[in-house]
Amino acid sequence: MTTVLLVEDDPAAREGLELALRRLGYGVRCAVTGEAALDGLTGAAADVVLLDVMLPGLDGLEVCRRLRRSSEVPVIMLTARGTDLDIVGGLEAGADDYVVKPVEPRVLDARIRAVLRRIARPGSPAETHGELVIDRASLIVRLAGQEVSLTPTELRLLLVLSGSPRQVFSRDQLLGLVWEHDYLGDSRLVDACVQRLRAKIEADPARPRYVQTVRGFGYRFGPV
Amino acid sequence: MRTRLIVACVVVVVLAAIPEAWLISLILRWYPSLAKLTAMPGWINDLLVTPHPPRNHQLPNLGAQPSHPEPVAIAVFCLVTGGLLLAVITGLAFAASRRVLSPVGRLAAAAQRMSGGDLTVRLQPRGHDELARLVATFNTMAEALAAKVGELEQMEARARQFAGDVSHELRTPLTAMTAVADVLGEQPGLTGDEEAAARLVSGEIRHLNRLVNDLIEISRFDAGTAELAPQDTDIAACVADCLRARNWSGVDSDVPAGLSVWLDRRRFDVIVANLVGNAVRHGEAPVTVRARVGTDGDGATELTVQVRDHGPGLPPRSVAHVFERFYKADTARARSDGSGLGLAIAWENARLHGGRIDAGNHPGGGAVFTLRLPVS
Repeated sequence: MTTVLLVEDDPAAREGLELALRRLGYGVRCAVTGEAALDGLTGAAADVVLLDVMLPGLDGLEVCRRLRRSSEVPVIMLTARGTDLDIVGGLEAGADDYVVKPVEPRVLDARIRAVLRRIARPGSPAETHGELVIDRASLIVRLAGQEVSLTPTELRLLLVLSGSPRQVFSRDQLLGLVWEHDYLGDSRLVDACVQRLRAKIEADPARPRYVQTVRGFGYRFGPV
Repeated sequence: MRTRLIVACVVVVVLAAIPEAWLISLILRWYPSLAKLTAMPGWINDLLVTPHPPRNHQLPNLGAQPSHPEPVAIAVFCLVTGGLLLAVITGLAFAASRRVLSPVGRLAAAAQRMSGGDLTVRLQPRGHDELARLVATFNTMAEALAAKVGELEQMEARARQFAGDVSHELRTPLTAMTAVADVLGEQPGLTGDEEAAARLVSGEIRHLNRLVNDLIEISRFDAGTAELAPQDTDIAACVADCLRARNWSGVDSDVPAGLSVWLDRRRFDVIVANLVGNAVRHGEAPVTVRARVGTDGDGATELTVQVRDHGPGLPPRSVAHVFERFYKADTARARSDGSGLGLAIAWENARLHGGRIDAGNHPGGGAVFTLRLPVS
């Protein structure tokens, strides 16, 4: 059973979301504060974290940032505002996706499933691109022999792009292929994830070698 | 202006002096004794009367019979004295008018600036006359006006902020309600009143959700925080996606393939969805969407998207109001699915693009909403 760690301070919203998630077949653990969430994650593993932005004490963005130092668990931000500041902040902090409250259970379910699907994709043996080795079977990425730790979304983005080297993918295409947003997705999800991926695999993220920008169109892998 | 004034003065002097001189010479000719009564000083007479050599200059001899002055001399005298007098009077009047007119001019200029919206304009009062008092009053009025406008603006900003805050506050309880709304409807064995109550609550929660989302959307326009995120957008694909996502299968779309425009895709989708949603809810089938790129009246390129239904059309009195918030064309009509903010949001989104939406009726029947967006 997939376990969701729900971090939400409002009792009614927490209870409602917990109930809805349980009925959708998820195991749910709840945390009321950001501090409790970080403790909870070190105690027992969750498969996905549903993180409210507005929390007393440590806010959701800071929790996400601290979480990313030690964990690659998928994070979906729950934002009550839906303002750009929250969304961009959440994506920069390392969130994989976001939903705007109030969220319908079926939408939440689809987003959680999409985030989780990014991990489990069987593939062909390892490919080498310059100093980057991508093993699609074991889902391990090595840069100059060193294993790179990627979140499921970053990994999925790299697998999609490197699966067709030199092919240009538009942001909308990537939103469909990686995030499974079928309609009017937020292209900032793509840009933020590309930044994070570059920070991990590029020698100079300002002059990327692997994940290149094609201005006005989108991104492509290589040519290396 | 000044030249014209001087010319006018000269003309007046000349015109006034001619009949004056003529009259005086005539009177003196007919009544020579008058010359004595009028007691024209002899020395002037000496000056005026050329045929006689000048007599003694020590004392004018008033008792002596003065010789009659020549009409021409009288004319010259009158011309000169009249002219001098008029010049002096005009000069005095001019100086006085300048003293009055220049503060009035400054006041007029200040009032004009103020009516143009500049409430910071103030004048420096000079002297202690009525005009200075008027200037002081003007300043007081400007002060009071600026204070009042500032107060109103603050009140309006607070009211808008309040609407935004309320909407945000509503989201938290709505999150809990939305999460569990489906649970109510899924209960097996619900019958009669229970089933109706569950359905009503679920439906109203969805309605409340739409309303709150729309309120938050419009409060962003009010706060000036709505931003454009334009990109190259395929209009045909965008319209098709928009109709498909809302399950509007009965809507005919006439958009040429390959029509690509630089605009905010999400906002364009919101506009089309609100216009078509309005047509579907309030008009009658068939609803058509027609998009073209052409030139407007000024020759600039624009994208037009026309949404038409085949219902009875808009009542003439409501054409001017359809984009107002919560406006209902027919107050007696039952509440619709919409939030009442759809067209207002569409209008704001069009405006953010530098475009507009026109509402009207088609000659062949039905309401027509035409979105016009400038194409760079």
